[in-house]
Amino acid sequence: MAETFFEKPPGRVYRGFKQAFMMTPAIDTTTLTRRFGDFTAVDNVNLRVDAGQFFGFLGPNGAGKSTTIKMLTGLLAPTSGSIRILGEDFEVRSAEIKRQIGVVPEGMALFGRLTAGEYLQFVGRMYGLDRVTTLNRTRELLEFMQLADEQKKLITDFSHGMQKKLAMAAAVIHGPKVLFLDEPFEGVDAVAAGTLKAMLQRMIARGATIFLTSHVLEIVERLCTHIAIIHRGRLVAQGALDELRAGARRTGQAGIEAGAAPPEAEKRSLEQIFLEIVGTDREGNPGAVTPEQELSWLS
Amino acid sequence: MVELTGSQSLPDSMSPIPASTQLLAVAWLRWRIFVNSTFRRQPKNKRQIAGLVFAILLRIVVWPILALMMVGPIVGSGFLAWLAISEGRPQGLAGLLLGIALLWQFVSINGLSIAASIHSFDPASLVRFPLRFGRYFVLRSLLGLLTASTIVGSLALLAAALGIGIADASLALPALVAMAVYALMNIYLTRMIGAWMDRWLANRRFREIFSMIMALSFAAIQFMNLQRAPMRAHGARSGLFLSAMHSSGPYVYWLPPGFAAQAILLAKHPLAAFGQFAALLASTALFAAVFAIRLKKQFLGEYLSEGVSRRVSQQAAPRVRMPALEAAAQSAPAAAGAVFSSTVAACLRKDWIVLRSNGTQLIGMMTPLLLVAIFSMNRAFSSSFSGYFLPAAIAYTLLGVLGPLYNVFGADGRGAQLYLLAPIRMRDVVVAKNLMSLAMVVAESGVAWIIICVFSRARIPVSAQVSTALWTVFVVALNLAIGNLRSIQAPRYFVPGQSRQPRGGTPTNRTSGLLVLGVLFGSMLLQIPVAMASSYFELPWLGAWVFLPFAAAAVFAYAFVLRNVEHLILEHRDVFAEELCKA
Repeated sequence: MAETFFEKPPGRVYRGFKQAFMMTPAIDTTTLTRRFGDFTAVDNVNLRVDAGQFFGFLGPNGAGKSTTIKMLTGLLAPTSGSIRILGEDFEVRSAEIKRQIGVVPEGMALFGRLTAGEYLQFVGRMYGLDRVTTLNRTRELLEFMQLADEQKKLITDFSHGMQKKLAMAAAVIHGPKVLFLDEPFEGVDAVAAGTLKAMLQRMIARGATIFLTSHVLEIVERLCTHIAIIHRGRLVAQGALDELRAGARRTGQAGIEAGAAPPEAEKRSLEQIFLEIVGTDREGNPGAVTPEQELSWLS
Repeated sequence: MVELTGSQSLPDSMSPIPASTQLLAVAWLRWRIFVNSTFRRQPKNKRQIAGLVFAILLRIVVWPILALMMVGPIVGSGFLAWLAISEGRPQGLAGLLLGIALLWQFVSINGLSIAASIHSFDPASLVRFPLRFGRYFVLRSLLGLLTASTIVGSLALLAAALGIGIADASLALPALVAMAVYALMNIYLTRMIGAWMDRWLANRRFREIFSMIMALSFAAIQFMNLQRAPMRAHGARSGLFLSAMHSSGPYVYWLPPGFAAQAILLAKHPLAAFGQFAALLASTALFAAVFAIRLKKQFLGEYLSEGVSRRVSQQAAPRVRMPALEAAAQSAPAAAGAVFSSTVAACLRKDWIVLRSNGTQLIGMMTPLLLVAIFSMNRAFSSSFSGYFLPAAIAYTLLGVLGPLYNVFGADGRGAQLYLLAPIRMRDVVVAKNLMSLAMVVAESGVAWIIICVFSRARIPVSAQVSTALWTVFVVALNLAIGNLRSIQAPRYFVPGQSRQPRGGTPTNRTSGLLVLGVLFGSMLLQIPVAMASSYFELPWLGAWVFLPFAAAAVFAYAFVLRNVEHLILEHRDVFAEELCKA
């Protein structure tokens, strides 16, 4: 099989480098806070994502996921706190860090009046790839994302799913070490979703770090090794999935810091854990409304 | 599966990206957007082809007119500069440069709508790429250099430099250098104003305050204009203007136009000229620095959107009661539910909530009324044009409120899908939209009418009032009919009261905008022969008899369009969905 541009050639030297590299967290935030006027969207978040992790970042709507991603990728300034990506302070070395990360943002941020090929070429050049590399990768990515037949179409005429695939292609064209994905599978068909998942898993196998938000908990459960849950701007849980299972079972409510998983940890689904943690109000009372309680007029 | 083999030719990923690579990439991006927007439009049916042909013809007519309008100031600048030096009145040069700077800002502000209609991209979106701030600043300085204001201003300065050079060859080189720096100063001044205005206008409260200040400024200027210089006294007005220019002369020497003028005129005294040139450079640097401060905030990830009500969203949501919705429903026109069908009443409520929160639009509606009041109070003006004053004033007030009739669904954006999905008649939705628009038209023209009747010193005969009323019915009904057609055929998504529109466009389709003007001015032209004939033949009720059938025909046309709304929306639902639902 041909070697992909996401991977480094495996070998003794590389493994040594990978071990050393993995000692530095890929993403590390300290008391990260963002306020909008009186509203605190992200409140003292201490997040640590080790290199090589497939990290799921979950939370209900309006919990602060996208705001956190925007801060981690330099699109939004934090009100206070610090961000370190690959060991570097974002405030000090933003340009260098941006070269090492790829982003599929919430609104995709595509230029609608370009074709897919033109857009990828532009992104490649902005990330400093030389012309030949950019052209080669553009061609490969368009084929990989099954967009090669749409070369004459403007992006504005693409379907939502096609735009999502293009945004993903643009996010990886420069071979990033850390990839931030905000709802990457939203609107993507099953075939393309399968292709994308396989690509992401290969990236992880080759040492990349992926930071993913999604409301589809089955996907997160299947892909991610580590998970954090944000609720009303506060980080309420963080750890490996098994650790979360143990922690959630132990406390039964939000505000846990995941501990070591006992071997007999009950294998509950991520959805159950998630609902257990965020389905409570600030006092810890169940907040979810049962169908019997409300909307009785629904057939 | 296709495998991503890629090229491994990236030798050292952390070596700096050459500035030329990124600058050229952005230039290429801008070029491709221009090419794709200009040559890749693919009309799908005959109507779209006709629209494209019409748009091209329009440009062929309008652009040369715009160009001719710009030739005057450019040639005039060259001539005045030559005159100032050759006639030995060098003090006029500073005034000329001040005039060019004002022209630059004027074209910049008025060219915004033209710039908005040209497809481009938001330069602020470049912050996500690995750029250093310095490079971002250079990019932001370069992007938009080919705007009308820069072209016209630079050419005017070049013409002035040529004029100076022709008058006195020894001043040619200093003039060219000083004008080049002065052009740079104007570029940064425009950028600085634009960037800070963008920042402030992102806030709704500021937009409302700004609109209020602008409205009062226009009214104050008109008020002073009429008070200080009665009609037909052009000499007096010119004298006032010239004396204002003359008295401002000494102050201009402490401003960049004065620095530039002195740097040229004192060329034979190198030290003094250098001092003035340094002051010009310093003012350019100052404007660039203030512009850079704004860009730096943007670069670091500034949040400008007004967003949602923050305080409410942080608290636990009430489970059953929704006081905000209840309050909104209660404050909507109370009788709506009782008089109209539930669809019409619901749409009216919704549009009322949107209008109520759009202070900018409400303030915008006040401006024509203020001006009508000022003109009505001026005896010389209202009595000089007593026959035409009422219809002209009503036409003027209508100008602002007729435009929205041509894009009644624009503010709904994706929400317009609901009209297609819900089991309702589209006609009810259009009726609700028209009723809301009509309420605004009646309020605006009604208040203007009362102002004219109360403040105008000359009595307006009943026959003239009836004639104007029938003419107003004709114009409004015709605009409603054509507006409904255009709202379905060529809708355009926009956010009410927001200066920067989501797609960088204007709130109304350009063709629709021209139609509004065409219908209004066409019907105004109809007024003139009717008023003349009425006066000549001493038939005061002639206007009423002429406009009665016109009004009846327009109402019939409106009813006809309304009757066919369901068919129209079915026929155009693809455009409707594409323009609004993909917003």
